[in-house]
Amino acid sequence: MTQGVLLFCFDTEHTRYHRILERCVGLIKKNLKSQITVVTDFETYEKLKPLGCVNYKFIEPELGNKLNGRTWNNVDRHMAYELSPYDTTLVMDIDYFCFSDNLVQLFNTDYDFLVANQAHDLSGRNTFDLRKWSMIPMVWATVLVFKKNQRVRKIFDTVKYIKKNYSYFNEMYRVYARNLRNDYLFAMALQQINGFIGYPKIPFALATLPPDCEVVKVTDEGLVWRRKDQISYVEGQDVHVLNKDVANV
Amino acid sequence: MDIRELKRQSDLSYDIAIAKRNALEKAHSRQVMAYNGHLFRANPQTICLVRTLMATNSSFFIMDTNENPVEIKDADDFLNRLIARNQEALNAYHQMYQTFTRKSD
Repeated sequence: MTQGVLLFCFDTEHTRYHRILERCVGLIKKNLKSQITVVTDFETYEKLKPLGCVNYKFIEPELGNKLNGRTWNNVDRHMAYELSPYDTTLVMDIDYFCFSDNLVQLFNTDYDFLVANQAHDLSGRNTFDLRKWSMIPMVWATVLVFKKNQRVRKIFDTVKYIKKNYSYFNEMYRVYARNLRNDYLFAMALQQINGFIGYPKIPFALATLPPDCEVVKVTDEGLVWRRKDQISYVEGQDVHVLNKDVANV
Repeated sequence: MDIRELKRQSDLSYDIAIAKRNALEKAHSRQVMAYNGHLFRANPQTICLVRTLMATNSSFFIMDTNENPVEIKDADDFLNRLIARNQEALNAYHQMYQTFTRKSD
């Protein structure tokens, strides 16, 4: 049985995502010691420094989202099932930095699909508890683990179907998001495919740094950030960094 | 009353409180462990339950973090792993806690 990490990375006009990927891959190799496959385009691949033993899959990314004039291409995650060469796959955002080996535990379960439903705001303001008005429980597709089988294929097929009819499902579940987000797509698909009852989840919150926190230093052990006049740090704890300027640190 | 000193103390207390909350969250995440294909939390409740059940049964059933039942056949091994994971997480939390104590002095 093979297992590995699947990452999606596409540079945009404003953000050098390949720089974030380089850091992410280094941390995965150090802490998860897992095989890695990167889904990217040739333009991004050309800018990458040599990353050692990493598999690449090239696709032409679908046009992504836009916020505050910045675009990002993140709507291809529904293809993870087809693109993954592994029996058990950990799909991760490239801005999720593994400063620990906590995620290794998720490889060693019989669950065929696991996703997180909680995020912990490292700045202490609980800014991620706002998504309570939708009709369905929300998930964070930042990290998800799946095994290849017929049931999981149906989950991804449902994600594709919802993506195609996003505005309808958006209204039906009262998500009202302007952008197409993987979090919402997977929340809706899991709700549908699991009979509207519930489904297994990753039993810890994903430590997340909000966009207004500026990362000032990243090491192999952790990172330091600044918000207003406050400087804080974490060590040995995985962090999802939402401020994309981390690419320049 | 030196307002500047009060503000400095208040800021320091806030920083310590946030850092402590983050360290506690780190400990909670670290306590999650896979066993027998299921996920468990190596917290006091699980450890006490396993110790209680193994006193009278060689194998028994407990629920994982997603409330699915799991048969535990080798209770000693399971308990040892739970304790090791729990203490590893709390040891890291303890080290971090000591830095808070030093900061607030």
